[in-house]
Amino acid sequence: MAKEFKPVVVTANDLIEGDSVFLSAQGWVRDIARAHVAYDADAAQALEADGLAGETANIVIGPYLVEVLLATGHPVPVLRREQIRADGVPTIPVGLDAQPVERAAA
Amino acid sequence: MYRYDEFDHRFVTERVAEFRDQVSRRLTGALNEAEFKPLRLMNGLYLQLHAYMLRVAIPYGSLDARQMRMLAHIAETWDKGYGHFTTRQNIQFNWPKLKDVPDILDALASVEMHAIQTSGNCIRNVTSDPYAGLAPEEIEDPRITAEILRQWSSLHPEFTFLGRKFKIAVTGSEHDRAAIKVHDIGLQIVKDDSGETGYRVLVGGGLGRTPMIGKVIRDFLPKADLLPYVEAVLRVYNLHGRRDNKYKARIKILVHETGIDEFRAQVEAEFTSMDRDSVAAPDDEMARIAAYFALPDLAEKPDAPVEVERMKKLDPDFAQWVTRNTYPHRVPGHVAATISLKPIGGAPGDATAEQMRAMADLAERFSADELRITHEQNVVLPHVAIGDLYKVYRGLAAIGLDAPNKGLVTDIIACPGLDYCALATARSIPVAQAVSKRFASNARQREIGPLSIKISGCINACGHHHIGHIGILGLDKAGVESYQITLGGESTEEAALGDRTGPGFGYDEVPDVVEKIVETYLAVRDGPRETFLQTYRRIGMEPFKEALYAPAH
Repeated sequence: MAKEFKPVVVTANDLIEGDSVFLSAQGWVRDIARAHVAYDADAAQALEADGLAGETANIVIGPYLVEVLLATGHPVPVLRREQIRADGVPTIPVGLDAQPVERAAA
Repeated sequence: MYRYDEFDHRFVTERVAEFRDQVSRRLTGALNEAEFKPLRLMNGLYLQLHAYMLRVAIPYGSLDARQMRMLAHIAETWDKGYGHFTTRQNIQFNWPKLKDVPDILDALASVEMHAIQTSGNCIRNVTSDPYAGLAPEEIEDPRITAEILRQWSSLHPEFTFLGRKFKIAVTGSEHDRAAIKVHDIGLQIVKDDSGETGYRVLVGGGLGRTPMIGKVIRDFLPKADLLPYVEAVLRVYNLHGRRDNKYKARIKILVHETGIDEFRAQVEAEFTSMDRDSVAAPDDEMARIAAYFALPDLAEKPDAPVEVERMKKLDPDFAQWVTRNTYPHRVPGHVAATISLKPIGGAPGDATAEQMRAMADLAERFSADELRITHEQNVVLPHVAIGDLYKVYRGLAAIGLDAPNKGLVTDIIACPGLDYCALATARSIPVAQAVSKRFASNARQREIGPLSIKISGCINACGHHHIGHIGILGLDKAGVESYQITLGGESTEEAALGDRTGPGFGYDEVPDVVEKIVETYLAVRDGPRETFLQTYRRIGMEPFKEALYAPAH
């Protein structure tokens, strides 16, 4: 049985900054909520091609498709890894944000 | 400390200029990512989940205050104000921008540092004992050997494109604090029956997805033969190591599949037939390098100054810090003091720019301008007068790095895991934080005694989970983080790989799981002097399995 198609967005890393970006109607953006969603296989193929064009144009690195859920009205990645990537930061306060809180807690 | 000579300066400066040009060509599109990736990796620049990551070499973990301050400056100027010290005694910056990396490398070069060979299939940063040069039981400072190997291996034309990365560790003491048995080559400085100094050589150890304990390939190697012999090992590996499958390409697989006796015979044949004189380090060069590692001029001092003894009585946490975080020094009246980068609930190995500067200041004032990074992701002040310990301790308390927990249950090693790493399958840091908070009480940590927890966020084992007394391996099970537990691992001269307890546990369950393991140990140990590892070796897995998996009544 063919695998059920899940909606996808295309993601990559920005060439200069290195951070996670998503292809939207306005080009590559940091906010996955603005990402263009493909709802069927043909649209996904076209989206992937657009992603690769971004790499060829030296805007992004390593584009690939990410399965998303749309229960909240915005695309949210299915996999934990992709959720963390989409957030753009670790799941815990780090560096300067972590220190005062953790020191007070200790 | 080793200081760059004219050749070293030119070598590093030229390399930065070369990389600046490569970055520039990447940004203009003259180089595509496929062309650029191997170049950036050779300069320690990875692409992770959220950003680029720059891994900076700290040779054998040694650095001075000026270098630590430069790391702080880099963290503040081009990153987010902090860095992460690693199990390879290096530092990683998690947020550099590609356009800034050449400037970062220039800044590093200005203090005799670089990021060369911190990635790629080459010989990586040679690691060593954080107590090198000061441990009373040491035969010889292993950093001399490590520096000779560093110079020999830097851009070695024959070994720049090995089948896979290659890691070497050196210890000068019988008590192994450099985990030499889980390295591609492990070197232990020993004396033979005639009193001559040389090396016991191990080969084929490693962690990752196929963990193995290294095997002895030479019981005694004369010092003068160091480079020819290591070169012979590398040549046999380079010739016969697999290149068709990256998961089977490390030397441990070759040694395992060839058999240590046959592998030894091949190395000896290569060693015998090669032009050893052309490879060996000249005596005068070895003497030049050795001179850099002379012990600083420390005057002998009292072992138990009245003021420090008084403060130990007044401040139990300070007393515990002295007990847990200091190590005897060969000069009377001194110790090596470990700065734990494991504050309760902190990210293991992380330090802010402010903390780096404060550590640099303490090193300058109280430790002959020296710091060491340990493979346990802590920092050592190697030459502290016992009479200065309370001042050092207060200085550390002011920056939140006074945890008296070295070697205790909250001194957790953790890789960056899925919070940063593109390879990770599960988070490591939040798991370490949750376990650390669970065991926050100093009194409880004291009661439990020596216990190492090591956490990796994937099978590549950067968190060394196989050799943790309690090892935690984070995996992805159908999109959900799952954590396998191993018990009985050890990193020292008694190195052992941990045994799996059974099926894995969920992310939220890990603190309870560790607690059950610890409670089981406390219930069955043969008195408070029997450590967790000794208990495990005495009673085996069953009682722990029972505690973890038996249905609740």
